[in-house]
Amino acid sequence: MGLPDALLLQHQVEQFIYAEVRLLDERRWEAWEALFADGGTYWAPAAHEQPNPEEHVSLIYENALLRKVRQQRFKHPNAFSLQPFPRTSHLVSNVMIDEEAKDDSPLVASARFIMHEFRRGQPNSYAGAYRYELLPIEDTFLIQQKKATLVNCNGTLTSSAMYF
Amino acid sequence: MSELQPAYRQPELADLVEHDRVHRSIYTDPEIFELEMARIWGKTWIYVGHESQVAKPGDYYTTTLASQPVIMTRDHEGQLHVLFNRCAHKGAQLVGDDCGNLKEFRCCYHAWRFAMDGRCVSIPLEEGYADAGLTKDDPAASVRKVPRVGSYKGFVFASLSEEGPDLEAWLGGVASSIDNMVDRAPDGELEVVPGVMRYEHDSNWKFFVENLNDMMHPMIVHQSSSLTARVVAKRELGKDAPLPPALEIISPFTESYAFFDDMGLHAFDNGHGYSGGKNSIHAAYSDVEAYNEAMNQAYGEERVKEIFAVNRHNTVFYPSLTIKGAIQTIRVVKPVAVDKTIIESYTLRLRGAPDELLKRSILYCNLINSSANLVGPDDQEAYFRQQEGLKTQGDDWIPLSRDINSDEELEPGHYYAKGSSDLAFRNQLKAWKQYMLAED
Ligand code: FES
Ligand SMILES: [Fe+2]
Repeated sequence: MGLPDALLLQHQVEQFIYAEVRLLDERRWEAWEALFADGGTYWAPAAHEQPNPEEHVSLIYENALLRKVRQQRFKHPNAFSLQPFPRTSHLVSNVMIDEEAKDDSPLVASARFIMHEFRRGQPNSYAGAYRYELLPIEDTFLIQQKKATLVNCNGTLTSSAMYF
Repeated sequence: MSELQPAYRQPELADLVEHDRVHRSIYTDPEIFELEMARIWGKTWIYVGHESQVAKPGDYYTTTLASQPVIMTRDHEGQLHVLFNRCAHKGAQLVGDDCGNLKEFRCCYHAWRFAMDGRCVSIPLEEGYADAGLTKDDPAASVRKVPRVGSYKGFVFASLSEEGPDLEAWLGGVASSIDNMVDRAPDGELEVVPGVMRYEHDSNWKFFVENLNDMMHPMIVHQSSSLTARVVAKRELGKDAPLPPALEIISPFTESYAFFDDMGLHAFDNGHGYSGGKNSIHAAYSDVEAYNEAMNQAYGEERVKEIFAVNRHNTVFYPSLTIKGAIQTIRVVKPVAVDKTIIESYTLRLRGAPDELLKRSILYCNLINSSANLVGPDDQEAYFRQQEGLKTQGDDWIPLSRDINSDEELEPGHYYAKGSSDLAFRNQLKAWKQYMLAED
């Protein structure tokens, strides 16, 4: 791939990730959900070397059905721990393409993030690494997996129901 | 007299818990918290860990006991020990990480070495102590042991007090909840799997321990998750479709008052107790064929029926451990301050059972116990609001009086009441009072 193509791909991946976290900050859950491929998962592990989401606990591991439960819960009048509803600000940087898409295998991109959350009058910060598996579809992508590993995923954590 | 007389005056310790009500200060007063750490957490049996976490000779596992750092070790003869995590020289913590395997401990500071049972093995330039009469064989050169350690079927407890009832006597009626969890393993053994969740609660430890057998709360507190799960399942999967395991786990939290009433409450000495007996919110999980087969092979159908007929919800080993035998998860209570508590969640594998069982326990732990998930955060919020609400001067007392006269004594020291009773609160606080008032 010549330089212009590589730059274009880098640009597309970055723009995709920025747009993705922006939807979270703007609470546009349905539009966010539409970014996932069929069978796409969201995963926040509870340990750095966690081998898989099935045989080890995770902070969050969700398929489409569980994501719908979480998003619907966001709107539930009795979701007491979300009153007032938390605000978030996701900052993403260090976006790199680790593997380009090939045949059936997705493009793999990594990035670093900080999610600042304002909840119950308290500011809270979460930081960590993103790993995206992205399926190229025309000039954009669908998420096969978004993995958010907090630097302190195996440490003591306070409540946060927002997607990192 | 000033108009601004404080409305609140601290009553005597003995007057804070009555049979039918409790004073708010036991949840809010930092001095009472300090007393609890000494008189309850510093005296009774506190859960340390599971033997499977130090399965091999040389294994160690670090944790805290009443906020004091301790190490559970397995020496090279296979013996289990619980040591204070403190070098016998100048007090540096001997190990800093969660777990590992060692030939011996070597202090990071001046390199005193200790065997896995705490005995001092070597002191650099030991002869320097010759005039003082100290040698490595002196007991003063050893890492001190926690005064009492006991293990019940792999669950290790320790006590900072030299005296007290032995572990089995202290467990009393709730030992059977451990028995049932162990019985559910075809090989008759449990194993804690790697992966712990540490969830900070901005509230007093007792709110958590009391809530576990508060059967008046799930259908209210968990509406936003459990009712939503039911609605989403219907919408996405169809009205009568079988629920996938995740929704099978979340849905029962909003069962009716009648359902939770039926589960019932059982209370024993020392504040212990459980909810559910023959039925619980875990009873209707789908069968795993291969597991049933393995169980039948191991125990025979008759016995397996008896084992599965015991279906408890939460068992509380007051004050430090709560277990769910039917789904193989445990939660460990770590008080930090009067308004701060860390709850650790662990998952256990039933040895000899197919992996599907462990996967279900893990799924359960994710959905219910994680700080970032669907169910636990609403409990956590309720405790936080209690912590805040009880700062007010409007009323100093909290009632414990629901069904106050309907406890049934099934056998000596074993009380039963329907789920909506305040029995579990009364029973825990009765033990609280006994501990707090006990003479040294
Ligand atoms: S403090 Fe441990 S060797 Fe000195
Ligand atoms: Fe609850």
